[in-house]
Amino acid sequence: MKTANVGAVVGVLLLAGAMFLTGRASVPAPPPCPTETNVTHVKDGRDVISDDLMVALDQAKNFHRKAKVYMSDGNLAAATSTVREILSLPFPKGAPEADDVRLDARALLAKLLVMQGQIDEATRTVDEGLAAVQRESFFVANLYTVRGEILEAKATNIDAENAGDKTKSADVRRAAIEAYDKSIQINEKLQKQLVEHK
Amino acid sequence: MTDDDFLTAPVPEPLADASPSERAHAKTFADIVDKAVSGRAPAAMSADDRALLEVATVIRATHGNAELAPEKRRSIVEDVLRQAVGGSRPAPSTLSSPMGVVRGRFAPWLVAGSSTLVAAAAMLVLWLRAPATAPTPQAPVAEAPMSWMSRPADPLFGPIAREQAGNASDRIDYLFADRLDGYRERRLSSGGAR
Repeated sequence: MKTANVGAVVGVLLLAGAMFLTGRASVPAPPPCPTETNVTHVKDGRDVISDDLMVALDQAKNFHRKAKVYMSDGNLAAATSTVREILSLPFPKGAPEADDVRLDARALLAKLLVMQGQIDEATRTVDEGLAAVQRESFFVANLYTVRGEILEAKATNIDAENAGDKTKSADVRRAAIEAYDKSIQINEKLQKQLVEHK
Repeated sequence: MTDDDFLTAPVPEPLADASPSERAHAKTFADIVDKAVSGRAPAAMSADDRALLEVATVIRATHGNAELAPEKRRSIVEDVLRQAVGGSRPAPSTLSSPMGVVRGRFAPWLVAGSSTLVAAAAMLVLWLRAPATAPTPQAPVAEAPMSWMSRPADPLFGPIAREQAGNASDRIDYLFADRLDGYRERRLSSGGAR
């Protein structure tokens, strides 16, 4: 008898629950009232200039200033290691500025390495940057220009090592010309796009 | 001795023997109490006896000796359950018949079963109806100005001249200043996402 009573109570509770749910479902949800914030809601929050992006840009700016001071002081090694720091700065994921800032830093880094006679390291720095490129930009074109300069310097070194025999550096010179051509090609394409968009 | 004698008669000595009238009254009252305990309280009694009987009942109840008969208990529980599900109170005579006892035994199960079925049906209807939800109107989404957005830096600089190839320091200064303008504009505007 006691079990039967408990069963009855459970049944009544279930019925009440079902009635509650049905009642709630039949009440239409109020439409979201537009607030001041969501009226001007930006489509994708990740795309706006965020705090993180500003911090990263500020850091990059400071590293460049520091490197400039080292360069003016003739301390190219310290300037080189300072510019390297920019390559590992954490930018917001997918921020286009990150690619541009890193490519520009690589261009300066390569030039600093060339000034210190580290041609191979400079070549590696540029090639790593070009290998990671996901979109063409003036910074990519600039990096190709720097690659051409590095290859020119390399060819000059080869000539010097071979007593002015320019046949041995011919391939390197050709590669330098290809790099300059690539830079010119990208610049022309992007300029054309910019004009079309204006 | 009348009812008034209790109030008007002289107070007897503490060790004095009970008078015959007192004994008779005590016996009568004891009978009333016995009948009340067994559920057969007399309908008519003196006001003093009724007051004393109520006191006796309260004293007995506080000692935990008051207990309802099993049938009475069951009847009360079933009445309460029936009232809870909206049923009418049955006549006492129906419980006493064999069919009434059987019905009384299975009534809670019937109530439980039927209400569970109704609940299941309601939930099924709810579940089947759920996909047909009306599309909620979306809040208007405004296009953010380009200056607020993270974007390629190309348009700021254009083609980089060869003699400027290593001048990244000046470019980062310019890029930072440009992005700072957009960042401040977004943060300081009233509707800007913060």
